[in-house]
Amino acid sequence: MIDLPSPDQPEEALAAVVALRRLADQLERAAVANAIRQGWTWAQVADALGVSRQAAHKRLASTLPDTDQE
Amino acid sequence: MLQMLKRRIDEMRTIKTLCTAAERHANADGAREPGLEHFLLAALDLPDGTARRAFARAGADPDGFRSAVARQYADALAGIGIAPDAAAAVPSMPVAPASGPYRAKTQVESLMRTLAAREEKRAGAGLLGAHVVAAIAAERHGVAARALARMGLDEDALERAALAEADAAAGARA
Repeated sequence: MIDLPSPDQPEEALAAVVALRRLADQLERAAVANAIRQGWTWAQVADALGVSRQAAHKRLASTLPDTDQE
Repeated sequence: MLQMLKRRIDEMRTIKTLCTAAERHANADGAREPGLEHFLLAALDLPDGTARRAFARAGADPDGFRSAVARQYADALAGIGIAPDAAAAVPSMPVAPASGPYRAKTQVESLMRTLAAREEKRAGAGLLGAHVVAAIAAERHGVAARALARMGLDEDALERAALAEADAAAGARA
């Protein structure tokens, strides 16, 4: 369960947002790398993420250094 | 005249070194675009050594900054109930360097403007790591500011220490 920081502490709440985005990015890269390694197509990854295939490939392909070789 | 030109070229070279190193730190950290925390790490790498001495003068170990950044993320997540173990279980993968024009977080643009605006003031020594530390220490919000606070560093004290270190280096060079 997520405990929302109290609204009178914007510094803490905003820091949590930044940390969550970073965590979400890490999770996305790790999950997409696994999916591609397991033979998912970029179209399937894009559907699962709810974005266009172009968007998924553009945003993620270059950040996954090893997937092309594997 | 020639002296001034040479100084400007040296400054541009230092900026380029900083930008390249900051991007490397960002990529290793799983981020595509460097933020101020990555520029601080890059400043600590500069061969002039003044950034590291500024930390020491303010009473902190410069090598502790990287882990303070990580601790700051873990604390922020713990604050909303995400246990450090859970966050650490997500693998952090480095990203490949971006191709195309150099991109950085917005705060980096303002750092570059600050460094450029202070060029006159550092007449003797040129751009040093300590100047970068001073400019970043003056930022009150964001990951770098929170990490510095985690190290027990008072931002004003660090800024003063960095400027003192820069002056000392300028005096030594003059």
